[in-house]
Amino acid sequence: MRTMSPLSRTLGIVFLLALPLPIFIVFGASFNGSAYIQFPPESYSLRWYIEAFTDPRWARAVGTSLWIAAVTSVVVTTISFLAAYFTLRYAPKINTLLELAIFSPLFFPHACMGVAAVALMAKLGIVGTPGAIILAHIIVTVPFSYRPVHVALRSVDPDLIRAAEVMGASELRALKDIILPICRSGILTSLLFTGIISFDEVTVTMFLIGPEITTLPVQIFTFIQDDASPVLAAISTISVIITFLAIVLLERVAGLTFFVQRSGS
Amino acid sequence: MNSGERVTFTKSLMLLPMLIILAMFFISVFTLFSSAFVDRGGFSLKYFQQIIDRPDYHVVFYRTVLSSITVAILAVLFSYPIALLLWRANKWRNLLLIVVLVPWLVSLVVRTYGWIVLLGPKGFINAFLGWLGVVDEPVKLMFNDTGIIIGLTHVLVPFAVISILSSLLSIEENLEEASRVLGASGFQTFRNIVLPLSLPGVFTALMVLYLASVGAIVTPLLLGGITEKFVGSQIYQEVMATYNMSKAAAWSICLLSLSFVSLVIIKLIERRALRGQE
Repeated sequence: MRTMSPLSRTLGIVFLLALPLPIFIVFGASFNGSAYIQFPPESYSLRWYIEAFTDPRWARAVGTSLWIAAVTSVVVTTISFLAAYFTLRYAPKINTLLELAIFSPLFFPHACMGVAAVALMAKLGIVGTPGAIILAHIIVTVPFSYRPVHVALRSVDPDLIRAAEVMGASELRALKDIILPICRSGILTSLLFTGIISFDEVTVTMFLIGPEITTLPVQIFTFIQDDASPVLAAISTISVIITFLAIVLLERVAGLTFFVQRSGS
Repeated sequence: MNSGERVTFTKSLMLLPMLIILAMFFISVFTLFSSAFVDRGGFSLKYFQQIIDRPDYHVVFYRTVLSSITVAILAVLFSYPIALLLWRANKWRNLLLIVVLVPWLVSLVVRTYGWIVLLGPKGFINAFLGWLGVVDEPVKLMFNDTGIIIGLTHVLVPFAVISILSSLLSIEENLEEASRVLGASGFQTFRNIVLPLSLPGVFTALMVLYLASVGAIVTPLLLGGITEKFVGSQIYQEVMATYNMSKAAAWSICLLSLSFVSLVIIKLIERRALRGQE
């Protein structure tokens, strides 16, 4: 009984195709031959890609964003896994309270998060260091990491663990050989999802950069404000490709069902 | 895994890293509050008073709230047909979902940059209109509220799709079938079964979109320019250009209180709408 009226189907298709449109426009404009940004291009060239790859500022920003994303995703996933494992196994009573605290940053507008973050980091004296950016990214991504990991851990049958431990396996062994493999897709979802968020985060990060360090999205933002060189189209395309590859990888290794689950289930 | 076994001190250390991160978050909010009430070293309500006194600041708050309401409603209207399409497309759902997820997760800056290329005076839309001969002068699509609303709506549609799709997917198939078997038309089934049951997703989307929109900085700054300010762009300027942390903190607290009040109102509307169903 899965039918749809032609009108709503057409609207759905048109709106859906409009979503990636600005990205395609940027992609098209990146092959522009002239000195100012233009779509459709009048002449074609790869000069902006050459500039993107030879200008050390862009290489450094891409590198910074990639390693910050990697560190953030591994650390935040580990923190969430330990907390969810402990809570489910040893302290189920505190779960409601813990989740309330973990999900509370979601109710803060990003502008407020940014000011709060820079206020804290200034107190700690670490504005403009990788540590400040990573700490802020961990705070921002914790809710997105805790949910998939918690859902995965909750699905582990307690009898399996009990059986392993009755047979003489230590808690660590049960974790390594039983729990981790069962939670594999939840953990991978957390790793990739938080990595993508960190790689593309800009609203909070732009308060925390300094002369020594900036991330790719923040540098794109700064350049858009300063001058509108078409090199931005090339560098934006590179950033889209990195995000796209991460999403495809996520689809391959863990599936996308996590994104369309109701939070209750 | 749900057993509630006995805890030893060593094991409770597993919770420690999470507690540190949560503490950091709450300390940062506390620091935000404490710095808002300070001027030249002493307690002061100066910046709150300033917001109350200056009509040009009221305009910034009005613009932010009104634009955000518009954006949230527009985004939900655009995303509903997309969510329906994905819901119906069993076989292609994963592929179509990627078409939604990529624009959602690609950096905000890049998507906004795409809109600059589209909406700018030499942008695609103006070039197209000029080519059609509809307009002689470029239409001003950027550096005004229109630009901000177009950009923010586009940025936020993907999340709304995901939220509504989640609701649709939790509807039991039998319900629809029963409705059709009992003689309801496709539209009646949609109106009486599908739409009401998808409302939780719609309201989640409205709330998250509204929050994301009032807290936006990048899109209003880039598409709104200097004059058409959002609360977020004002806050950004206070921190990054005039280095006035106290003022930025006071603005953040007003924004925060405003969003909490709005969330309560949306929650009340939701409760009303859902009660009407029973």
